[in-house]
Amino acid sequence: MGVIELDRLEVRLGGRTVLNGLTGELRGHAIGLLGPNGAGKSTLINTLLGFHEPSGGVAKVLGLDARVDRMRIRQSVGYMPENDSFIGNMNGVRFVRYMAELAGLPPAEALERAHEALFYVGLGEVRYRKISTYSLGMKQLIKLAQGLAHGPKLLILDEPTNGLDPTARQRMIQLIKDIRKQGGTHLLISSHLLRDIDETCDEVLILNKGRIAAISNIEEERRSHRHFIEMEMTGSTDGFVQKMQSQGCECASFAGGRVKLVMPDALSAKDLYVTAAEFGVQIRRIQQRRDSLEDIFLRAMEYEGGRVDHVGV
Amino acid sequence: MSVFNHDYRPYEGRLTPLGSRPLVLARYALNEAWSSKITIGLFVLALLPCLVDLVIIYVADNPMARALIMRGGPAFDIDQSFFLHVLETQCWFALVLAAWIAPRLVSFDLGDNALPILLSHPISRFGYLLGKFLALILSLSYVTWIPCLILFVYQCYASPQPWAMAHLSLALGIFAGAAVWVVLLSMVGLAVSAWVKWRVIATGAIFAVVFVPAGVGGIASAILRTRWGLLLNLPVVMSELWQRMLGAPAVMNSRFELPTFPMVVVLVIACLLCVAVLNARIRAREVVRG
Repeated sequence: MGVIELDRLEVRLGGRTVLNGLTGELRGHAIGLLGPNGAGKSTLINTLLGFHEPSGGVAKVLGLDARVDRMRIRQSVGYMPENDSFIGNMNGVRFVRYMAELAGLPPAEALERAHEALFYVGLGEVRYRKISTYSLGMKQLIKLAQGLAHGPKLLILDEPTNGLDPTARQRMIQLIKDIRKQGGTHLLISSHLLRDIDETCDEVLILNKGRIAAISNIEEERRSHRHFIEMEMTGSTDGFVQKMQSQGCECASFAGGRVKLVMPDALSAKDLYVTAAEFGVQIRRIQQRRDSLEDIFLRAMEYEGGRVDHVGV
Repeated sequence: MSVFNHDYRPYEGRLTPLGSRPLVLARYALNEAWSSKITIGLFVLALLPCLVDLVIIYVADNPMARALIMRGGPAFDIDQSFFLHVLETQCWFALVLAAWIAPRLVSFDLGDNALPILLSHPISRFGYLLGKFLALILSLSYVTWIPCLILFVYQCYASPQPWAMAHLSLALGIFAGAAVWVVLLSMVGLAVSAWVKWRVIATGAIFAVVFVPAGVGGIASAILRTRWGLLLNLPVVMSELWQRMLGAPAVMNSRFELPTFPMVVVLVIACLLCVAVLNARIRAREVVRG
């Protein structure tokens, strides 16, 4: 069973189609939801939570239909909204306890979990302060605490690092990594910051203009041994390039002796030096890098067909 | 998640039934409403007339006290008219209390944009409103039918004649009359608070919703020389309904008396308007059209 299953999901809001025929299955432990502003990330989250009714197709969360099993989905999900969303005149512990009770915890357990959740996210010392007096970072953290308090199976984080300074951002990322590491909770993280997704997620769903531009398993990409290499060489590179291509490399040469190539698993960097020596060219600079999430994202954004694609390197 | 280790652990304990979640909202809403000293002050103020009425009943039913206090003056009649007066007084205090409490229940949630986070939990929009509605109804009950029925019970106990059996329908009338008003006030209070968002303005708007149409209705009645303008006058409509529910003699000139059915229709329309407003405003996400 996938964490999120979409089958020709269509959502129309205010007379226009915001999500258009999304189909795909996400099974990752931490799923990133990427896309430019207006791509439909928040609409997808709202649809999964049952805030928006799908106008067509099916969306399932943890095997439950978002159209008919809203309450059961919400029971299993913790949600941290993008914008400020709290009750300002409540103190931290009372707010988190309130949310935990709404999620079904009995009052005593809810109080205990509220304290624990606040300590866990680092708000233990300010838990009796009114939320309206919290800083922006603290407000982000208390939204995370209320999402965690009832022990959800899926935690949905909508732009969790929005407006945070570098220290607070790092703290938030560390918390997300920690939750992921514990293993009991799936994560769906919506962000337009590639770095956040890159650091925390193992699978990514990229949306563009209401369509799925790509679904990619970052973890698999990371495990991939297909290396991208950029080199600067002196001398004629034609022979070198032809030899490398004959050995299974994808090569492209540019002016100034620059060569870019993708190496198959069977070859290593040593083979480059051997071949270069064979053709009498010098390698002046060599940079080895793996395909980044940024590459996946940019390629997905260029993709115009609207077809679901598992983007690989 | 232990406090010592600061580790995350999932919750594996028991869960409360889904149907009881609106009660959680009601409990927190009641707490919010009654945490204000002004609410307590208004509540105490609303009970002062009841104390006076209690003394009146005591004097009316106690010949010795009557002789001492009234010194041979006319005795009070504890009848339908007396309880109509009691009910009217309490119900207008309920309006003041509703105008104070209702915005506290909804405006904070809307002002702080708490609805997305509240409704992301296993509670529907209906459940959310039901919780707030229960809290408001309970708060208003404290100053309307509960003290009125306590006075009724005291009169049953204190009356030297067999009064209770002959006036059982009065108790029913008190409860039903107060219930209609409390439900209407709760709906108007929640709808206006959801519409306006700002607490202080919402308080004023609740009074405006009750009294501005009354003024408009009065003007319409005067210009068009018709009694139907009074249908917009909620105080008049409710007074007439209470009078009929309690079986008290008519106070108003028969020329201005309104039939019961149109009055009920007006109340139903008012409630439907409130439902429409609540349906439009109580949403986790607003959809911008166009």
